Amino acid sequence: MIRYLSSRLFVFIIAFFLLTVFTFSLNFFFPGDPVTNMTGVRTFSDYYPVISEIRGADKNIAFQYINYMQNLLSGNWGASLSSGDYVFEHTYQHLFASLELIVGALVLAVLIGVLSGIFAATQFRGPIDKGVISLAMAGYSIPVFWLAQLLILFFAVKLDWLPITGQINPLYGIAPQSGSILIDIVISDSDYKAAALQDALNHLILPVIILSIMPMMLLLRLMRNATQEMLQKPYVKAARARGLNEFQVLIKHAVPNATQSVLQQVPLIFSLLLSNSIVIESIFNWPGIGNWLVRAIFERDFPVIQACVLIIALTILLFNLVVDLYRGWRFPIVRQE
Amino acid sequence: MTKAFSLLISATTILLSGCEPSTEEVTPLSEGIIYCSEGNPDTFNPQLVTSGTTVDATAAQLYDRLIDYDAEKQAFVPALAESWEPLDNGTRYRFYLREGVEFHSTDYFSPTREFNAEDVRFSFNRWLDETSLYHNVGGSYPFFSATGLDKLIQKVVKVDEMTVDIVLNNADSSFLANLATDFAIILSAEYAQLLSVKDMPYLIDQKPIGTGPYRFESFRKDVLIRYTKHPDYWREGPGIKQLVYSITPNANKRMLKLVTGECDIIPYPLISELQALNRDDIIVTNEVSPNVSFWAFNTKRPPFDDPLVRQALSHAINRQAIIDTIYYGNAELARSILPPTSWAYDNQGIQYDYNPEKARKLLEEAGHSELSINIWAMPVQRVYNPNARRMAELMQSDLAQVGVNARIVSYEWNTFRRRLSRGEHDTVLIGWYADNADPDNFFRPLLSCAAVATGGNRANWCHPGFDQLLYEAIATTNANERKALYQSAQHILNQQLPLLPIAHSRRYQAQKKSVRGVQLPPYGGINFRLATKVTTAEESEQ
Repeated sequence: MIRYLSSRLFVFIIAFFLLTVFTFSLNFFFPGDPVTNMTGVRTFSDYYPVISEIRGADKNIAFQYINYMQNLLSGNWGASLSSGDYVFEHTYQHLFASLELIVGALVLAVLIGVLSGIFAATQFRGPIDKGVISLAMAGYSIPVFWLAQLLILFFAVKLDWLPITGQINPLYGIAPQSGSILIDIVISDSDYKAAALQDALNHLILPVIILSIMPMMLLLRLMRNATQEMLQKPYVKAARARGLNEFQVLIKHAVPNATQSVLQQVPLIFSLLLSNSIVIESIFNWPGIGNWLVRAIFERDFPVIQACVLIIALTILLFNLVVDLYRGWRFPIVRQE
Repeated sequence: MTKAFSLLISATTILLSGCEPSTEEVTPLSEGIIYCSEGNPDTFNPQLVTSGTTVDATAAQLYDRLIDYDAEKQAFVPALAESWEPLDNGTRYRFYLREGVEFHSTDYFSPTREFNAEDVRFSFNRWLDETSLYHNVGGSYPFFSATGLDKLIQKVVKVDEMTVDIVLNNADSSFLANLATDFAIILSAEYAQLLSVKDMPYLIDQKPIGTGPYRFESFRKDVLIRYTKHPDYWREGPGIKQLVYSITPNANKRMLKLVTGECDIIPYPLISELQALNRDDIIVTNEVSPNVSFWAFNTKRPPFDDPLVRQALSHAINRQAIIDTIYYGNAELARSILPPTSWAYDNQGIQYDYNPEKARKLLEEAGHSELSINIWAMPVQRVYNPNARRMAELMQSDLAQVGVNARIVSYEWNTFRRRLSRGEHDTVLIGWYADNADPDNFFRPLLSCAAVATGGNRANWCHPGFDQLLYEAIATTNANERKALYQSAQHILNQQLPLLPIAHSRRYQAQKKSVRGVQLPPYGGINFRLATKVTTAEESEQ
């Protein structure tokens, strides 16, 4: 386990190093002055000579990189070129807003996707299985942005049940602190927490459901195939022969082994979620990292673009690491590979 | 498994319970209004901009002016100045200020005194006096330099605590109209001093303090601006506690959010999609705003130096068809360069009806049975002209009918304007949006001889008699005299026709029926001073 752990950590550190080298070099590839791109301090500012000196703009590239890393690790991510706000302070708020959507969608996708996948496997080749699988194929193929328009039209415009933009009705006056709206409501001193919470949940429903559809359908198919494969294995036959009922066979023997191969795909699903969240956030005006990135690209706000790229990539790396470690701990066979 | 199932069931119940539309309105929702604005404000001080988005977000909400303009009465009414009088033949105006006006008290500033002459002096000197401390904070003051107000005013003198004299370099009857605009707002001198002691003068435009009906609470770029009611407002204030600007640049989304109830009021709905807002709980309002789109002839270039040619071409254009196709009928056919809402409007204006026969005859008379011209069409959308290129195409086919071959020219907007100023065009489709109620704003910047030099006169038309009338009109303050002068000026325009006015477009906004009291003054930004929200119960009673 120690060897597995250290090898995973090593891979993570290498990836992180390459990532920072990439974001560091972005400063030079972007048009304009590299120091401005890093710090958001414009060349005509009085402060520019000082900051340029500190960042070692006239020194060699290795010095600049080390300096860049020191600033990066101490949370000094520069200021936005368009609003002048410090980027780091806003990064975690945007990140938490995104994670609220992504975690919600992931939980929903796992719950429904895995359960119906297992169910479909038990009905293998039956009419229900075929129905579920064709539905999953269709669901997986629908483009997110189109599905979003469709559901908005139906649930928001025709039925008038759900709102379509933002995290909450702004009149509730919930000040952003963590960035995650549910947490912010709980820690706020609002007199209308219950109503605010319900309003925030209403705002979450559409984006979470739409974001979860694609990974849900993917998980459904993976889980169905994996479980089905396990159900064909001799050890399952043996379990049945010992007189276990079908439910016990499924839950105690087939499913745990099926999850092993499905779990391998979860990091992939997570990055799918993150990239789809960029689209969803733009459609629903969700103040998350994806929406922020898209606006920053339009506004050529290089410090923000960099922060978004870094944080999105880092989140994916971290998630991968955690899933890898969990798999290594849970399934000995993974450690031996 | 059972655990997972119960989780699933509870999750679904939460989701479904969220779905039910709430029957009772929660207090903060009934005590606030959400205005879905079309963009971020550039600053919180309208002195620094001419952008409509910034003016809508700040001027009437955070600040007051010395005087206001009442569009219904067509008169100036007291605001922070209780009364005023012209002295020294109109070269000095004395303003008597209102007592007991409180500035905003917020978590970043608590005023220790009420509004007085010092605030007026500070606010004017900010853009007037290049040596004043705050002049360079924020940089430029485009409205004041465009109207020449910074050249007109010599100085602002404090007579006593509550009296101020504004000394002018020469008499100018458009002066009061400029003071009543959204740009001539009053800031707090005490706050400015506090900030300069703290060495953070730039905060004056980011965390604003004014005397207006709302005070600044917070701003999140791309998300919202939050204002709360100013509790000690000096005159009748809003019936709501909170005003939120929810920033929604996409016009489609604004309309959707109005339908779903996430906005109470929206500006600029898509006029081609207005029927989507045809619902019981929504009202769409519009009014002719003080703008005009026109087709200007470059009178420096033959054959456009001949009034006969200009008249002939004007008869060739089917302007009603343009209004139906380009504006979807949401504009008024222009009969003068002045909009019909102006007090100097001349309703006797000659109408250049669509008449191809007459156009052909006039062209032959002028000796141009075959003519080749170009039409410059601006590349951007403006309130007065939503689609200049399409308009040029319609005109192209109208002109072809009378034997005129027209070529459409367009450049990137900055290049376009630069080349126009150099007079490289034959004819151009462009327009004008007025900043104040004075008719002078439609004439001098557009058609005076002085404007030929600065490039504002797109027709390059200099008519000494016409110019004389304009200067006589601003030298007097007698309204009847001015009206007569402007009507003769319009008469000359109708004969000479350096430009053909096409349309006065309407400014649209849509709102929930539950919102009352939001004003859209013809000269200036939206005004929430008297805004209230009625509950559904009250609404059904009425």
